[in-house]
Amino acid sequence: MATDTEVDLTPRLKTDEMLINMGPQHPATHGVLRLILTLDGEIVRHTEPILGHLHRAQEWQGQNRTWFQYQALIDRVDYLSGMFTSWAMARACEVVDGCEVPERAEWLRVMVSEMNRITSHLLWLGTYLIDLGAMFGFPFYPFREREKLLELFEEIAGQRMMFNYIRIGGVMRNPKDAWLSKLKRFTEEFPDRVDEYEAIVTENPIFLKRTKGVGILRKELGMDYGITGPSIRASGVNIDLRRTKPYSVYPKLKFDVPVNDRDGDTFDRYIFRIREMRESNEIIKQCLDMLPQGEISGKKQIAGLRVKAGEGFAAVESPRGTLGCYIISNGSDRAYRIKWRNPSFCNLSILPELLKNHPIADVMAIFGSIDVILPDVDR
Amino acid sequence: MRNGAEILKLGTLTLVWWCIIFGAVWAACYIVGILIPMALSSYESDAARMTAETCRALTPILSVLVFIPINAMFMVLFERRGLAIFTVRLGPNRVGPDGYLQTAADAVKLLFKEDITPRGADAFMFTLAPIVFFAPSIFGAMPLLAAVTNYHELFQIVNLPTGIFFILAASSVPVVGIVMGGWASNNKYSLVGGLRSAAQAISYEIPLVLSLVTVCLMAGTLDVVQIAKQQAGGILNWNIFGGGALRGLDTALALKFSNQPPALQELSQKSFDQVLKSSYVEPTMQAIGLGAGQEGLAGIIAAFAVVILIGSILIAYGLYMTGACAEINRIPFDLPEAESELVSGYNTEYSGIKFAIFFLAEFTNLFIVASIAAVMFLGGGDCPVPAWLGTMLGGPVIESMINQALTPLIQIKLVDPPTLFAAIWVILKVYGIVFFAVLIRGTLPRFRIDQLMDFGWKRLIPLSLIVFVLVVFAREFVNVHVGS
Repeated sequence: MATDTEVDLTPRLKTDEMLINMGPQHPATHGVLRLILTLDGEIVRHTEPILGHLHRAQEWQGQNRTWFQYQALIDRVDYLSGMFTSWAMARACEVVDGCEVPERAEWLRVMVSEMNRITSHLLWLGTYLIDLGAMFGFPFYPFREREKLLELFEEIAGQRMMFNYIRIGGVMRNPKDAWLSKLKRFTEEFPDRVDEYEAIVTENPIFLKRTKGVGILRKELGMDYGITGPSIRASGVNIDLRRTKPYSVYPKLKFDVPVNDRDGDTFDRYIFRIREMRESNEIIKQCLDMLPQGEISGKKQIAGLRVKAGEGFAAVESPRGTLGCYIISNGSDRAYRIKWRNPSFCNLSILPELLKNHPIADVMAIFGSIDVILPDVDR
Repeated sequence: MRNGAEILKLGTLTLVWWCIIFGAVWAACYIVGILIPMALSSYESDAARMTAETCRALTPILSVLVFIPINAMFMVLFERRGLAIFTVRLGPNRVGPDGYLQTAADAVKLLFKEDITPRGADAFMFTLAPIVFFAPSIFGAMPLLAAVTNYHELFQIVNLPTGIFFILAASSVPVVGIVMGGWASNNKYSLVGGLRSAAQAISYEIPLVLSLVTVCLMAGTLDVVQIAKQQAGGILNWNIFGGGALRGLDTALALKFSNQPPALQELSQKSFDQVLKSSYVEPTMQAIGLGAGQEGLAGIIAAFAVVILIGSILIAYGLYMTGACAEINRIPFDLPEAESELVSGYNTEYSGIKFAIFFLAEFTNLFIVASIAAVMFLGGGDCPVPAWLGTMLGGPVIESMINQALTPLIQIKLVDPPTLFAAIWVILKVYGIVFFAVLIRGTLPRFRIDQLMDFGWKRLIPLSLIVFVLVVFAREFVNVHVGS
């Protein structure tokens, strides 16, 4: 029954939603992502990611360059984990070509790519802390260890980021004994360093406040969107190609794939990446122990390198998820068609769902936590 | 110590810059405040006398005007080098000898940059904002000058009976400048930054002011010079340790360590007797001086009151530092300029000299809040060594030696030892706090705005009120400065 004492609680002040454009030149969008946010006060109601600012026609370039040239180019697809992009394409070519990959080359591939996984996660860790506003202090510590690994990469591949080390049919260069012992020393001290990061970050009350319960990714939603990698494992889906679809020498290695038992938030995505780094470190240790002697390439690395006619797909587990490469070859020295399945692209598609009804301050906290590399999105 | 060499370099750099800063400031003050009036005193005309008076009156303002830019330049360098040490880097070490002139070069660069007013911006407000932001830090710090120079004759003029009130009033003005700048920039990020700043400043000013009010309550005055003077006599006498509540402990220690055996015997004899005839708690506390010279039940109450008082004041100090960090927009409370969210917040659209002024004011504000903490909590220009320990270590001898060595300079008023020592201690304390702020900046991530508000309103403000009430009651049972 309506009485005249009833108070009208609808706000008198007319409020409007505000459109705000974040990026592509925002200091925190990790490159060139543009987000059009619809804000209600400081709450994000709708997000529209605009992609393509870094589109370089990587797939088209593959059809216009020889295999040998294209190998050097694809490191740029995901510049933080170049080993994995090289490896995905090398595996696809090997599937089509049917060439043998020597045992030692497989071990070396696992070794360098796990190193690459560590560097990628370390960089993510540093930049993620910047996303959360720890502008100056902590982010430099992961870079200290990353630097050591990059020096090792430089020594073995001649490059710190665009390695071009994993080649079709094998790897490029044999590591020296000194290199292996340096790597061994690194693997021995690395767990302590991870403890150091955890001591600063994992228990930090402000960090916990910013990450716990923020950006919860439901398992089903993540599966619907095709999320892969640590982001989905932190939400409880056990998918890791190294285990679920083993390739290379992974079946011979002992390692854990950490999987969450509930829907993960940004903190889970952080802690699972930390655990993954520890596991990668274990893998490198085992590789160092079990590295056999022998050839390192089953195919002659010449400019006129050819892949037999046929089509095939191969995928590897990159630090960001399932990285797949589909190729069609007509037997010439260049690809007929190349198609990439990039984890960053699929992972980014969840962003509008995750950002819904979060304050604008969490935009970067959530976006950072799904670990997207923009060149990998735009190709 | 992996960064030993870098730490050493930072120390050298700090010493050199301190010499530059204080040399420049004191030279300016000396010329205007002492030399010119002295030269004019030989003319016996009204005009000469008036000029001399004006010169003297203008000295404090001049000193601040000289001090602020040089000091801010050094603080930027100090922060960058300090952060570099915390973050396993080297920091700026290229411009000038070992990077000493880096910020000077930066300042020159900023001065010559194009000064852009964005299209659609309110040009008048846009220009006014940095001025409104910066001006309070010049005049707001004035009363502090009298306190940190040990009430030197040149700076007596700036002292106010309601000094701390004036300082706090002045320090809440800059937020108007931030809101103005944010609104006038015609940029959504700036606007959000400016409004956040207003919300934040209002929320955190309450615990900040309440914690200072607690100190004023203990001291019984709003006059910063008085507050600083009351705390003279060593670290146990400072406001952060209850402002004289530990005088008993101080006396007991003095008796124990100075050459006065009869008094010592008397004290221990007394406590021994009390152990025998009364409770166990009381004499123990008496012996360490907590009972503040009272016996029986009154002594126990007084002892508990002392503990509560000191605990409350320590919390008040923490509250002050937290509130101050928020007030001057430093990490973890730098939401108005949160880089990962708002690009650069209220100063996104600023460039050139206007940006430089914002930058300058930010560091000056840090210096001022640190100075307030030093004066209100950490004894101002007081030497942290207790007087009795200082005597034991030969303090007076050293002091007289310095006085003797500097006699010619003292005679021409170039050096005033009490002021000099006060200034040295203040600068050590202030830069200690600044260093702490740098350390925090190198450690913590940023709050989210709603968490910041929660933290302010639901934690800090109730806590500051509780502390305030506790101090009101505890003070009744303890002889703090004002009772003495």
